[in-house]
Amino acid sequence: MNTRLLMTLHVNVATPQNIGAVPHGTRRIAPVSGGDFEGPRLRGTVLPGGSADWLLLRADGVLELDLRLTLRTDDGALISMKSFGLRHGPPEVIAALGRGETVDPATYYFRTTPRFETAQPAYAFLNSLVAVASGDRRPAGPIYTVYEVL
Amino acid sequence: MDSRPLMRLRLTTSATEELGSTPHGTLSIFPVVGGSFDGERLRGKVLAGGGDWVTARPDGTFELDLRVTLETEDGALIHMTFTGVRNDANHYFRTLPRFETAAPKYAFLNRLLAVGIGEIGPDGPVHAIEEIL
Repeated sequence: MNTRLLMTLHVNVATPQNIGAVPHGTRRIAPVSGGDFEGPRLRGTVLPGGSADWLLLRADGVLELDLRLTLRTDDGALISMKSFGLRHGPPEVIAALGRGETVDPATYYFRTTPRFETAQPAYAFLNSLVAVASGDRRPAGPIYTVYEVL
Repeated sequence: MDSRPLMRLRLTTSATEELGSTPHGTLSIFPVVGGSFDGERLRGKVLAGGGDWVTARPDGTFELDLRVTLETEDGALIHMTFTGVRNDANHYFRTLPRFETAAPKYAFLNRLLAVGIGEIGPDGPVHAIEEIL
């Protein structure tokens, strides 16, 4: 599979809302308070308004991520990003992440599949591509390296 | 981004159901009546009953929304879905498959993300699906 770098995305996460046990697992919502992104073809900031990650810890220990962000490029275009992802790993690594420690991202699986929507012609190429991202959970929030699937 | 082959999926479809213009574009449903898949870790057949809901957008890109049931050669059932895009003008046909199964032997599928590279073969669509490592 061939890919190329689309952007590095820093997401800042505010205090999570713990919904608790729901029919499909344990639901937690992580509101996004901001962030930024930078890549060869786009750069800008993450808007806090409608951005959050709807997390579901499944019975098999896998965390499902359902992230929705609004991105604003440095030239004023708005881009909606939605990405489904999975995070899991050895119990001690997941426990360290839970304590807010910085952990080598190679020790756990944290991958997402972003899709984009925009009305701006300069960024319309984003409407017709699929992407994959590798995540690194830091205390302030995740850092995603997002690749376009060629 | 590292990946490794998961399977090659061949789908057999019956006559397309053309629904015409809907609020999101032009909707065509491709019923899946069969097919096969094979890879190092799993192989078997595609059961009839699924389909691909394809919306042609005004910008020339097709939005794909597929769900099928796979049956492995040892009898496990796997629910597979994907969303994806196809744009014939730039030969781009890529999907993001997801899997659900209750069979312990194939539970690794519940824990991975994948990318499919599609092409239209003489007998229908063929997807080379890779696990994202």
